[in-house]
Amino acid sequence: MKNKILNIKNLSKSYGAFKVTDQIAIDLNFNEIHALIGPNGAGKSTLIKQIVGSVKQDRGSILLDQEDITDLSDVERAKIGISRTFQVSSIIPSFSAIENIILSLLNKSNKTFQLFKNIKDNNELELKAKNILREIELIENSGMVASELSHGDRRKLEVGLALAMNPKVFLFDEPMAGLDESGTQMMINLFKKIKLNTPILLIEHDMEAVFALADRVSVINYGKIVATGTVDQIRSNELVKDVYLGYEI
Amino acid sequence: MIIEKFFNKWILFLLIIIPIFGLIFEEPYYITLTTKVIILAIAGIGLNLALGYCGLISFGHAAFFGTGGYVTGILSFHALNEELLFSWPIDIFGSSEMLIIWPVAILVCAFLSLIIGFLSLRTSGVYFIMITLAFAQMLYFFSISWPTYGGEDGLSIYVRNSFPMVNTMDPFTFYFICLVWLMITLFISFKLINSAFGMAFQAIKQNEERVKSVGIETYKVKLIVFVISGTMAGLAGSLYTDLNRFVSPSVLDWHTSGEIMIFVILGGMARLYGPIVGAAFFIILEQTLGTYTENWQFWLGLILILEILYARSGILGLFDKKKNNEK
Repeated sequence: MKNKILNIKNLSKSYGAFKVTDQIAIDLNFNEIHALIGPNGAGKSTLIKQIVGSVKQDRGSILLDQEDITDLSDVERAKIGISRTFQVSSIIPSFSAIENIILSLLNKSNKTFQLFKNIKDNNELELKAKNILREIELIENSGMVASELSHGDRRKLEVGLALAMNPKVFLFDEPMAGLDESGTQMMINLFKKIKLNTPILLIEHDMEAVFALADRVSVINYGKIVATGTVDQIRSNELVKDVYLGYEI
Repeated sequence: MIIEKFFNKWILFLLIIIPIFGLIFEEPYYITLTTKVIILAIAGIGLNLALGYCGLISFGHAAFFGTGGYVTGILSFHALNEELLFSWPIDIFGSSEMLIIWPVAILVCAFLSLIIGFLSLRTSGVYFIMITLAFAQMLYFFSISWPTYGGEDGLSIYVRNSFPMVNTMDPFTFYFICLVWLMITLFISFKLINSAFGMAFQAIKQNEERVKSVGIETYKVKLIVFVISGTMAGLAGSLYTDLNRFVSPSVLDWHTSGEIMIFVILGGMARLYGPIVGAAFFIILEQTLGTYTENWQFWLGLILILEILYARSGILGLFDKKKNNEK
C-alpha cells in the first residue's frame, strides 16, 4: 500500500445507460511506468479526465500519495501534483515554446499573482524553462510561436509543460502519437529517465514503445480493466489478444 | 509592429497637441472633445483588459462606468446642498473634492465589480454576456426609479468638483487631469500584460483548460482582471460626470456598454492603444458624420461590419500585417 503513489478504486462514470468507466481499479507505484492500453473508445481518456478532475466520477475514489483527492477540483489536483498531457496537443498557440513552459512553471514558483513585475526580467524562470526545453530537445525552437511548431514538436512541448510542473505523477495521453522514429526514441529515453523520480501512467497505442517502457500494463475494454500484468504476461494473455492486440506479438 | 508603435506615439502626440491648439486659438470645444476621447479611452482600456486580453465578453461595463458617474454625482450633489449623505451610524457628508471622490468611486466600483464578477464568472460564453448585461440593466432601471437623484431626468452638479490649487472649471486644466489618469491606466495595463499574471490571463483567453491543468486558478485570475477592468471603467465614469457636470441613467444603459465595446473592437482588441484609437475614431465619426445626418450610427455599423469581415485586429491591426488577418 505504501508503495502506491496513485490508487484508484472502483471508479465509474456513465452517460445515460452507457458506462464509460466501470468500477476501474488501477494503481501506480513509485518509480514505475504503468501503461494503459485498449481499443479506441474503451474509456482510457475518460479515465484520465476523471483522475485529473475535469470529469466527475459517479462512484469510486482516487488517492494520491494516500490522500483522498476525489472531491478536489481539477486545479487543486494539478496543484498538489497531478500533471497531464492531452490526447490532442493543448498548448497556448500565440505563446512561444519557452513562454508555454514558463506558464507551466508559474504555479510551483508562486509567481502567478505577481501583477506588476515584468515576466521577461525573471531569469530564474527562463533558466528553468530552457533546461526543460533542452530535455525535450526543443531548445532550438524555444522562440518559435507554438502554433507554428510541427506536430512532433507540439507533442514534445506538451510533455515539457507536464515536466515543468514537477508533479508527483504524470498522466501521459498518447504522447507519441504522430512522432517520427527519432521523436519516439527521444520520448522513450526521456520517460525512462523521468520514472526514476516520478511515476507515469501512460496511455499509448504504439505497442513497441509500450513494451519497451512499461513495468506493468493494464488493458481496458468497454470501460473495464480486463487484465493487468507485466509486459510478458500481457503479451501472452489470450483475452488481451482477443480484445485488443488481435494478433501474435 | 514598428509602424504600430510609431502610430501609437502619434496618437499620444495628437492627444497633447490638439488641446494646445485649442488653447492657443481659443477653441475650448476641441479641448473638451479631446477630454471626452481620453475619458472614454480609459473606460475602453479597462474593458480591453477583460475582453481583449482575457476573453471575458462583458456586456455590462456600463454598470461600472455609470456607478462611478453616480458616485461622483451623488457626493457632489450632497456637498452642494450641504445635506448629509448618511446619518447612521455616523454623519457622512458629501464632497466636491476630486481627491475624496476618486477613491470613493474607485472603491465602490471595485466592490461592485467584485460582486458582479464573483457571480458572473461562474458562467461562460453567452451566459456570461447575458448575466453581465442583466446586472447593468438592473442598475439602469434602479437609477430611473430613484427620484432623490433625479430619476429619469438625471442629476446636475452645476460646478465641476475641485482639485487642490487648480481651477478645474478651466477646460485645459481638467483635460490635463484626465490625461494624467489616462497615462496611469495605460501604465497599469502595460505592467499587467507584461507580468506573470498577464501571461496567465492572456493564456486563459486562448486555452483555459490548459491553464487549469498547469495548476493556475483561472477563476481567481479572471476575477482579479474583472475587478481591475470594472474599476477603470468606474474611474472613467467619475471623470465623465465631472466633464458634463451631469449624470443620468443613460450612462448605465446597455448602449454605453456597447459603445465601450465598440471602442475596443474598433481600435483593436488586445492592443494597448486600441481603445484610445477606437474612442477617437468614434468621436470623430460622431462629430463629422453627425453634422450631415442624425443616423450617423448607420455608417458606424457599416464600418464595424467591414472591420469584422476584413480587419479583425482593428484599426491598429492595419499597421501590423502579421496580425491583420487574425481570426
